[in-house]
Amino acid sequence: MSDVPAKPVLFKGVTGNRLADGEVVFWADGAWRERFADIQLFDDPASADAALARAKAQPTVIVDPYLIDVRFDDGLPVPVAYRERVRALGPTIHPDMGKQTEGGAVVDAIVHASGAARSAGRINLIKR
Amino acid sequence: MYRYDALDAEMLADRTAEFRTQVGRRVAGELTEEQFKPLRLMNGLYLQLHAYMLRIAIPYGTLTSRKLHRLAHISRVYSRGYGHFTTRCNLQLHWIKLKDTPDILDLLAEVGLHSIQTSGNCIRNITADPYAGANAEEVDDPRVWSETIRQWSTFHPEFSFLPRKFKIAVGAAPDDRTAARIYDIGLKLRRNREGQLGFEVMVGGGLGRTPYLAPTIREFLPTKDLLSYLAAILRVYNRYGRRDNIWKARIKILVASLGAEQFARQVEAEWKTMTQSGEAARIDAPEAEVARIRRAFGTTPFKDLPAVSEAFEAAKAADPAFARFVRHNVLPHKVPGYAIVTISLKAPGEVPGDCSSDQMDAIADLAERYSFDEARNHFEQNLVLPHVALDDLPAVYAELERIGLATPNIGLATDIIACPGLDYCTLANARAIPIAQDIARRFADPAVAEEVGELRIKISGCINACGQHHVGHIGILGVDKKGEEFYQLTLGGSGLEDARLGEILGPALPGPRVAEAVDVLVDTYMKERAEGERFVDTFRRIGLAPFKAAVYAEAH
Repeated sequence: MSDVPAKPVLFKGVTGNRLADGEVVFWADGAWRERFADIQLFDDPASADAALARAKAQPTVIVDPYLIDVRFDDGLPVPVAYRERVRALGPTIHPDMGKQTEGGAVVDAIVHASGAARSAGRINLIKR
Repeated sequence: MYRYDALDAEMLADRTAEFRTQVGRRVAGELTEEQFKPLRLMNGLYLQLHAYMLRIAIPYGTLTSRKLHRLAHISRVYSRGYGHFTTRCNLQLHWIKLKDTPDILDLLAEVGLHSIQTSGNCIRNITADPYAGANAEEVDDPRVWSETIRQWSTFHPEFSFLPRKFKIAVGAAPDDRTAARIYDIGLKLRRNREGQLGFEVMVGGGLGRTPYLAPTIREFLPTKDLLSYLAAILRVYNRYGRRDNIWKARIKILVASLGAEQFARQVEAEWKTMTQSGEAARIDAPEAEVARIRRAFGTTPFKDLPAVSEAFEAAKAADPAFARFVRHNVLPHKVPGYAIVTISLKAPGEVPGDCSSDQMDAIADLAERYSFDEARNHFEQNLVLPHVALDDLPAVYAELERIGLATPNIGLATDIIACPGLDYCTLANARAIPIAQDIARRFADPAVAEEVGELRIKISGCINACGQHHVGHIGILGVDKKGEEFYQLTLGGSGLEDARLGEILGPALPGPRVAEAVDVLVDTYMKERAEGERFVDTFRRIGLAPFKAAVYAEAH
C-alpha cells in the first residue's frame, strides 16, 4: 500500500455575485441560494458546463458566474480554493459577519478545512 | 474649509440622477455587465468578494463634522456600522447593495461628498498634506492648489480616458506627508531664492508590479503655471503611454523607459508650444480664481492664546498615559496655544484604518467642539484633528480614550498600513489584516513599541500594492503559492522624504511565521542600533545580511 493519500474526488459547482446586492450565491437546480450548503454539485464536466451556461443566461440576476471545485471532508462539502472558502463564510476577521454567522455542520467544515488551490474566480487581476 | 457652490451641487445632483438611470437600465437588462461596469466604477462602486464596495472621495482629506456625521450615518444604515479609511483620502464601505447606491450618492451629495474620481482611468481624487493649514513648516496651504487641480480635472474631457489611472499629491512642507514620490505626479510647494512660490514637480512614481520612485523633472514651477504644466505632462502621457498593455500603461513605465531627462524635455517642449500659442494662458487658473478658492477655504478664527497651557502641562505631569499620547500623537501647531492631534485607527488587534459609525460620530463631535469643525483623513490610514487648543487636549484625549481611539502609536510598530486583502478584495492573493493584527499584538505594550521607536510596517495582499509594502521599513507582500498564503518581506523602504524601495529579505514565509519574523528583525535592530537610529537607519547602515541571517537561521 502506498502512503500517499488518495486524491480527493472533486465536484463542480456554480457561484457568482447577485447583481442587486452583490451577495455571494450558489446555483442549485436553476435557482440561486445564499448558503454554500445548498450548492448543487456536478460530478461530470458536461453537466457543470450546462449549469454554468444556464447561469450565464441570467445576466439580470447574476454577475460573472463561474465554476468552483468542491470536495468532501468527512462527508461535508467544502470549496477547495481558500478564496472560495472565504467567500462561502465571510471575512475571517469578522466571524460576526457574512454567511458564517448561520453556523451549522457545513460552515464548521469549511472553517476547519485546510489546504488550498487557486480559484477559477481569480481572473483579470489588475486594480482598477 | 472650502465651500462648494450651487454649480457643484447641481453637478453632483445630475451625476447621481444619471447613475440612478444607469442602475435601472442594468437591472432591466438594457445594459450588459460589460457596459455597466465602467459606469459603476466611475461612481466608485466595485464588486468585491462578499458584496459591493463603495469608495467615497474625501478631497485632500478634509472633512467637516457634518460630512463625517453623514459618513457615519451611511455606514451605519447601508453597510455594517463601520468604514475603512484608505491611504488615498478615501473611505471605503463594504457590504453595499447596488440597489441602494443611488440613494447613498444622494445622501453624500447633500453634504458635498461624492465618489467621483475614485476609479477609472482619470485623474483621481487629489491628496494633500493632512496637516495643511496647521503646521508651521508649510510655505503655503496645499489644499488651495489641490482644490484648483480638482476643479480643473473633474470630468476633464481630454483626461478622462487616460491609458491608466492617474494620481496627484500636493505637499507644502520639507517633511513629506503625502508620499509624493510614489505618485504619478507629486507636487511640493516651495519658495525659490527670490521668495517666489512654486512647485517641485515629481513624475512617474508608483508601486504595483513594477515599482518606481518619481524623479524630479522640474525643480521649480511658478504656481501661476500649474495647470498648463500638468496638462503638458498629461498630453505627453496620453500621446506615448502604453494603451496596448495594461501592465505597462502607468506613466511610471513611460518615464522609466524614456528616462527622466528625456521625459522632462518632452514635457517642456509640449509646454513651450502651449505657451507660445497662448493655450497655456487659457488653461492656467486666473489669479483671481485662485484667490477666490483661497477665500472660500475661509480663515480659521484662532484665539490669541498663550504658547504654554498650564492645564495641559499639569495633565501631562499627572497622567503618564496622556503624556505618552502627547509624545506620539500630538504635534506643534503654527498658532501658539494650539496643537495637531492625530487619531490612530490602529489599536492593536483591530483592523487598520477601520472606524465604526459610532466612532465617526464621536470624532465629528470632537471636530465640531474642539477643532473648528475640521477633521482630516491622514495618508497613513489615520484621522486628524488639525486645530486643538492645548487647554482642550486633556478633554479630547479623555473622549478618544472613551471611544477606544487613544492609541499612542503614530509612526510606531503598531501603526501598520494594511490593505483589505483576501478578507474582502477580489484581487488579493492573501490576507493582509490578520497579519497586521498578529504583528500589532506583539508590540501592543505601548512601552515596547516606544522603545523600538519609529517603524513603518506596510502590508499588501497582492502585487497591486495598495498597502504600499515596497516603501515600508518592513514591507510585507502576500503571494500565492499554489493557492496557499505566503508572505514576502522587504526591508529598508520609505515613501517619505527619504524615499526608497525596500530590498527583498529572502524566500516567502507562511502566514503564521510572519509576526515571529518581524520580532526577529526588530530584535536584530535593537542589538545593532546606534544612538538615535531608527530601524530603517540601522538597516541602511548594516545592510540586509544580519537581518536575513537572523530570520532564516532556522533553515540552515
